Amino acid sequence: MKTVFRYALPYKWPMFIAILLMLLELSVELIQPLLIGRIIDEGIMKEDLNTVVIWGSVMMALAFVALFSGVINSYFAAHAAQSFGYDLRQALFQRVQTFSLAAFLRFPTSSLITRLTSDVTLAQNALFMGLRIMARAPLMVLGSLIMAFVVSPKLAVFLLIGAPFLAVFLVVMARKGVRLFGLVQRRLDGVNQLVQENLQAVRLIKAYLRGVFETDRFSTAARALKKDSVHAMRLMELILPVLLFIMNVSFMVVLWFGADEVRNSNMPVGDIVAIVNYTMRMTSAFSMFSFLIVIFSRAKASSDRMEELLVADGDLEKLAIADNLHQGAVSVRFEHVSFRYAGTTEDVLRDVSFEVPAGEKLVIMGATGSGKSTMLQLLPRMFTATEGTVWVNGKNIADWPLDTLRNLIGYVPQQSMLFTGSIANNLSWGKPNATANEMEEAAKKAQIHSSIMDFTGGYETRVGQRGVNLSGGQKQRLSIARALIRKPSLLILDDSTSALDVKTESSLWDALQEEDTTMLIVTQKIQTAQIADAILLLSDGKIVGYGTHEELLQTSSFYREIAESQQNGGVA
Amino acid sequence: MRKPFGYEPIIQKEDLSKVQRKKVQKASNWQSVLLRIWRLIDQQRGLLITVMTLVLISSALALIGPLMIGNMIDHFIIPKKVDGLSMQIGLLLLVYAGFSLSTYFQNYWMVGIAQQTVYRLRTQLFGHLQKLPIRFFDKRQHGELMSRVTNDIENVSQTLNSSLIQVFSSVLTLVGTVSIMLYLSPLLTLLTMIIVPLMFIAMRWITRRTGILFKEQQRAIGELNGMIEETVSGQRVVKAFSQEQNVMEEFAKKSERLRTAGFWAQTYSGFIPKVMNTLNNMSFAIVAGVGGLLAVTGYGGVTVGTIVIFSEYARQFTRPLNDLANQFNTVLSAIAGAERVFAIMDEPVEKDEATKRIETLHGDVEFRNVSFGYEEEAIIKNLSFHVKSGETAAFVGATGAGKTTIMQLLSRFYEIDSGQILLDGIPINELPRHTVRSQMAFVLQDPFLFEATVRENIRYGRLDATNEEVEEAAKKANAHSFICKLSNGYDTVLTAGGEEISQGQKQLLSIARALVADPTLLLLDEATSSIDTVTELAIQEALERLMEGRTSFVIAHRLNTIRQADKIFVLADGELLESGSHEELLKRKGVFYGMLNNEE
Repeated sequence: MKTVFRYALPYKWPMFIAILLMLLELSVELIQPLLIGRIIDEGIMKEDLNTVVIWGSVMMALAFVALFSGVINSYFAAHAAQSFGYDLRQALFQRVQTFSLAAFLRFPTSSLITRLTSDVTLAQNALFMGLRIMARAPLMVLGSLIMAFVVSPKLAVFLLIGAPFLAVFLVVMARKGVRLFGLVQRRLDGVNQLVQENLQAVRLIKAYLRGVFETDRFSTAARALKKDSVHAMRLMELILPVLLFIMNVSFMVVLWFGADEVRNSNMPVGDIVAIVNYTMRMTSAFSMFSFLIVIFSRAKASSDRMEELLVADGDLEKLAIADNLHQGAVSVRFEHVSFRYAGTTEDVLRDVSFEVPAGEKLVIMGATGSGKSTMLQLLPRMFTATEGTVWVNGKNIADWPLDTLRNLIGYVPQQSMLFTGSIANNLSWGKPNATANEMEEAAKKAQIHSSIMDFTGGYETRVGQRGVNLSGGQKQRLSIARALIRKPSLLILDDSTSALDVKTESSLWDALQEEDTTMLIVTQKIQTAQIADAILLLSDGKIVGYGTHEELLQTSSFYREIAESQQNGGVA
Repeated sequence: MRKPFGYEPIIQKEDLSKVQRKKVQKASNWQSVLLRIWRLIDQQRGLLITVMTLVLISSALALIGPLMIGNMIDHFIIPKKVDGLSMQIGLLLLVYAGFSLSTYFQNYWMVGIAQQTVYRLRTQLFGHLQKLPIRFFDKRQHGELMSRVTNDIENVSQTLNSSLIQVFSSVLTLVGTVSIMLYLSPLLTLLTMIIVPLMFIAMRWITRRTGILFKEQQRAIGELNGMIEETVSGQRVVKAFSQEQNVMEEFAKKSERLRTAGFWAQTYSGFIPKVMNTLNNMSFAIVAGVGGLLAVTGYGGVTVGTIVIFSEYARQFTRPLNDLANQFNTVLSAIAGAERVFAIMDEPVEKDEATKRIETLHGDVEFRNVSFGYEEEAIIKNLSFHVKSGETAAFVGATGAGKTTIMQLLSRFYEIDSGQILLDGIPINELPRHTVRSQMAFVLQDPFLFEATVRENIRYGRLDATNEEVEEAAKKANAHSFICKLSNGYDTVLTAGGEEISQGQKQLLSIARALVADPTLLLLDEATSSIDTVTELAIQEALERLMEGRTSFVIAHRLNTIRQADKIFVLADGELLESGSHEELLKRKGVFYGMLNNEE
């Protein structure tokens, strides 16, 4: 909770002002009964209209002071709470952005989303409520208690009988609340995840007619959320009745002994009436306590979840800034590289060594699941090799500043992954502030310019999430253009021409011929392999062949098998 | 640190006057939203009545308590009477116990009612999402829709828990207090009522603003949700392109919108109790001043005693009013959430004007002069072809030629603009969608796997498939060997960002899923694009066996995989260039021949 509420610290002044105004308001409220008493006693009782008018005006003036401070308190409390929420969201999102991929993958997307929205909102509301009413309830209780003691310490002591029991009860409830509301938030993650899956797989679900099946699955998740919410909230509903009952019992005890005192003439009746009044005030302030406990246990539960993100160990990366540092082709060398994903038992890459001189093209082929994509992901340091070293331009990639390294690389992932926005927006990911000319140039090389011009909106055509309104080949080419626009020193193409027809693809390779870049290309197509300076064959994470097309046809049976599998008919 | 006063005003004068102009229309909109929520709550009428009865009881007990204490002081403590005092205290204890119990149980059941209502709303929304056409989803950000199922509904949830009881008990108290006030002095009651119009004006001033602001807030949180979901899902690309800083800035912009809306909403909402308190004081001053005057002049039978008691009640009168005002505001915030939920539930569902019913399909497919475009520009232009039952049809052509679109039209993800698609000679829109899709199995271009075990993912094709059938399909799809290598074999849980399996392996699993389905019509859209060609050859055999006797539509770039096709359709720009068997097309030396030669 501390880590999270640290983000409220910059707002100590607005918070201070808010609390000060709240106290001002509270004191006006406490004075009011006195004034009313005076108006009644000295004005109305004595039929002195003048006094009524004077004290009435004072009361009105004070009421406006209270209104004024209340309104300004509202402003500052809202400011502190909303800005705290904003900074917290910013910190959380920055954390997400700077997680290394390995650290990042520990949190499901759906859970990250809940933490950044719902959990932040809950903490933010707690702060707002805190600034407006937090001090009120305890002060009211404390004030009343003190007043009761002033009137009669003997009787007021009985009001304290329940106190230890109350304290234990409240602490237990708050603890349970934190746990239960934490569970509720986790259930919300589950609901979020199901909705996300269903949106991503909407075609699959419709195609297989699994609407009812999915709705059942969702009902189960929603029911779990309901069950746990009900559980948590019902427990919280216990607080108020129990509090009131304990208070009322102590109240009865006070009355009982009070009656004794009066009988023995140790105490005037007026005092007992006063104590009764103060006790009633305490009781009404206690009803705010239950409300506060709900708010705070929810906030605590949410803070714990946010803290998990904020203090999660694991590598952090610097917040990278996109930049263009074109410096010509670079060389790449893998030296005895092995790799294993965290939490798995088997190596995905085993003792891989090879070298690509600057400006050359290396094609990587191998069976499905042989480690091709994994190998490529080591270059932009998405993951770090478990063993061995990767060198770029003769420098260990671990020694490269991360953003410098990544800014050298044009990465075309296997799944195109475009974002909501215009085509131009998507292209400018590759190069910030890219000019229209640069975009056109990159698009032309990627063989997508004419398709873009065919769209009614041209470069301003909107792309849906993940490029939903584009064909598979269009997505791939746009994703290639996004990489080309940065004039990369190292171009990584992870099987990203699979949806292109032969003609388009060979025009693409022709266009790439003049680029001053080193290329690592994963492909299934033997025809593509022929443009390479060298071909690397991977099987089960091991290198099983290396050479040119002709050499491998001679030396590698594995390569011959691939070639044969594509002989009859070829690739369109 | 964010500076105070740095907030953009987000309500313009025009907005407010617009609200005023649209008032009639808007009011009915409000009412309809509330009515719809009420209908959901009302489904538990029995419990609701119980809760309300308990509210009545607890309100009555809350009144009796102080009366009894007064009685005790007057009749026992002051006269120093001992007899019966313990009895009195015992009774009072009972009253308080009853009060605590009725308070607990009314809230206990209300939480149940509220959460059940929220659950209903949530599942109904989800159920409705399942029925919406694909076109609806094309334009929406996932995260934005997710926010409606979570954030917006949570807003409703929080209100339902407390508001209903609060409103009811406030109204009860109000009625009670006003009755007593009227009984004491109708004239002074009238005087107290002077603040009601003032209160009304103040509330209208506030809620006209919060109403807009709550909506803006929910919209902003929805957009933020959309942005988080999308960037986080594409985090790899964000990293690869060093976009972290840019993404952060974009996030900051959206987050700032939420901050501003939230700030104004909270500020204005915070005014309510303050204004109420001030009005409360005003009413007391009026009662005291005018009452005093009346008492002095002796007009209207007002005595000093009346004023004293009356001023107490006048104070009690504003308490429930204050509560009501706060609840009204909370309800507005719930409405802002509910409106966004109902907006989705009012989206028209996929229409099904099926008139024909058939049990099984033979799989004869004909496109007759079909034209279609996702937007204005046509993707499919006047396309006609015929695939007979049991035939395998392959579609080839440049990217963007419309191959995938044909598959989408056949499965009725979209409705055609003109022409006809006939299934077994029946226009496809006269058949229930359910019937059509239940006879089809798909392998889509982007393989999708659920966060579930491998087994469950394959079984998705046919839910009653046995474990043996699942494994059989996996073997045919050449997936068995890699599945066995996974940490828990078929019971390995796949995760969304999971590294356990490669893209090609995902395709193998989705082929296994289609194999398990055992359909009449098989649609394979680039089913093997990420699979190496050696493995592809191995599963080719299984696929061919599968395609035997079924109508199959195949899109593939590797022409060797479609050699066995009965018909090959060559497309360009949504038009059919040529068609025929592999051999026929070779002989013709047309486009297809060129495509084949291109690579040699």
